[in-house]
Amino acid sequence: MRVKLKNVFIVYFVVSLVGLLCALLQLGQPCDCSQQLRAERRRGRDRDRLLAELRSGGARGEPRAQGGGRTLPTIYVVTPTYARPVQKAELVRLSQTLLHVRALHWVVVEDAAAPTALVGGLLAGSGVPFTHLNVETPPERRRRPGDPPWLRPRGVEQRNRALQWLRETRAPGESGVVYFADDDNTYSLRLFEEMRSTRRVAVWPVGLVGGLRFERPLVAGGRVVGFHTAWKPERPFPLDMAGFAVGLPLLLARPAARFDPQAERGYLESSLLGGLVSPAELEPKADNCTQVLVWHTRTEKPKLRQEEQLQREGRGSDPHIEV
Amino acid sequence: MLRRRNLLTTLLIALPWALLLTLWHQYPTTRYLSLLRKETDENVTSKALLNGTSALKEEGLPSCIRQQQSIGATPKVIQNYVYSRPPPWSDTLPTIFVITPTYTRPVQKAELTRLANTFLHVQNLHWVVVEDSPRRTNLVSNLLEKAGLNFTHLNVETPKSLKLGLSWIPSHTPRGTLQRNLGLHWLRDSFSNTAPPEGVVYFADDDNTYSLELFEEMRYTRRVSVWPVAFVGGLRYESPKVSPAGKVVGWKTVFDPNRPFAIDMAGFAISIKLILEKPQASFKLEGVKGGYQETSLLKDLVTMDGLEPKAANCTKMQSPFSAVPAQRLKSRMDVGASEDPFWHIMKPELQYSSCELQWFNDESCRKSTNMDLSA
Repeated sequence: MRVKLKNVFIVYFVVSLVGLLCALLQLGQPCDCSQQLRAERRRGRDRDRLLAELRSGGARGEPRAQGGGRTLPTIYVVTPTYARPVQKAELVRLSQTLLHVRALHWVVVEDAAAPTALVGGLLAGSGVPFTHLNVETPPERRRRPGDPPWLRPRGVEQRNRALQWLRETRAPGESGVVYFADDDNTYSLRLFEEMRSTRRVAVWPVGLVGGLRFERPLVAGGRVVGFHTAWKPERPFPLDMAGFAVGLPLLLARPAARFDPQAERGYLESSLLGGLVSPAELEPKADNCTQVLVWHTRTEKPKLRQEEQLQREGRGSDPHIEV
Repeated sequence: MLRRRNLLTTLLIALPWALLLTLWHQYPTTRYLSLLRKETDENVTSKALLNGTSALKEEGLPSCIRQQQSIGATPKVIQNYVYSRPPPWSDTLPTIFVITPTYTRPVQKAELTRLANTFLHVQNLHWVVVEDSPRRTNLVSNLLEKAGLNFTHLNVETPKSLKLGLSWIPSHTPRGTLQRNLGLHWLRDSFSNTAPPEGVVYFADDDNTYSLELFEEMRYTRRVSVWPVAFVGGLRYESPKVSPAGKVVGWKTVFDPNRPFAIDMAGFAISIKLILEKPQASFKLEGVKGGYQETSLLKDLVTMDGLEPKAANCTKMQSPFSAVPAQRLKSRMDVGASEDPFWHIMKPELQYSSCELQWFNDESCRKSTNMDLSA
């Protein structure tokens, strides 16, 4: 072939076409992205580990440190209780709920002259970290057999005893939240996580109380501006005992704050909260108080007519079998 | 003419080189940029590349960028906070199938929440919730999804004719019968008799209290196991009478101890194998006297000497296995209550609780309360 310009051009075109084809073929090949892949895999592993920790931490009531080494504020659940047939059933059921909550300390205060074996054994076997106290209600304030339960405020001395224990044993700077949980209510697990971030006093709706489907604080702009309640709405704090939690530092800072045994019916909560905060300072939880996470359930007294009959005949059930 | 040909020639010469250069330009840039910004801002990296190559079509991009985009994209965030999980499922442990009939009333969510909190502690538990309703309600569906348990959600409505009128004594009205039967039916549909799973069926009503030890006692039931139940039949507890040899020989109850099976619904559990072996065994609706509902099922499954007593030969009650009195909502609204077909039956007890609503009229409250408590 003669070295003509035309030939040169032809050769040139062919070569460049071939080169182009090679380049196009190269497009489909994987490139070396190992660096990015390694980094992503590492991030994914860390994420999975964190999730597994959170999951396992929730299953048993052990205090768990969150990522970063900070410990969770402990929730102190104060439960006054008294001897009656369903006492064990109520406490067992409550313990099964509390066992799921991390960093929780159960303070059970019996209305008794001495701690009973029934409650002691139950607490020891429950798996929940606990403190077992007792204080007897003075006879003049005790409920007599004919009285309905709402006639006198109950559990006042017991809750005050728990407050006293907290003030005696907790260090002033310690973070924590105090919640007054009666043994016959129903608590969802989410409630405890909502209250954990309490700084002073946090509030939320309570279901099936006060003759309503729920009672709740009214929230506007992230602050409490009123209360939705039908019974004695003129109370300074028309809440139920299960509808608020107090930050531990605040309780320790106000050593005089306690429940007033002389308080009128329905004013028990106000007697404590009045000495701690004003209604405007309340912190609304549960999605600006739109979710019911706790229910004021009550337990019916069991019908023990046949038992009483048998006992009159001297053939009562074996008292050694604890019920 | 010559000019145009020259132009064409120049273009044809320049084009392949231009294309090649642009393409090759990508590779070293990609590598270079990625090496520089390894850990941080993968998104920014991809964006920069995208900006630079916006002229190109997507398939022109090297696959590395595509990979990078998927790697560098924000990880999917799980928004639903998981509050608790049951213990991990074990392949060797027998499964406990808990059948819970439920119906709509104000305390329903509270009761089911409380029950779920209990069941979350039990390993290998499958919760079968059967609603007494024409359709599966959102309340129960959402609760079950959020609970974290293994569950089956069924529903069957009890015809109005059955709800009222069978018996005016509340404790003897067979409630939940159709629902429990549907639960059994689902089990028989889901598992075959030829390869029965290891497991046990327990009928757990939503208003009782169950200790955790109970589930471990019932897990290894071979046929039908029984144990004491607290606060039932007017007694502190009812229990089977067990001979020293460990066989059930009678019933320690006051209410009709001569029933073939004088036991409460919460006092027995049946192995799955037995349920699948006897497909015709179910709770009877017709002609069932008060207190004989359990018998109507058990008589087709086992005889008294085939029962296995648990809880240390039915002498131990480490914890009350069942508190039968229902959690009555004290502050129940009359509006809701009147829709409840059982309202008129339960009125004697609820007179106490409706009193709580009448804050105003203390005198009448005190009178009716005294009546109730002295009864």
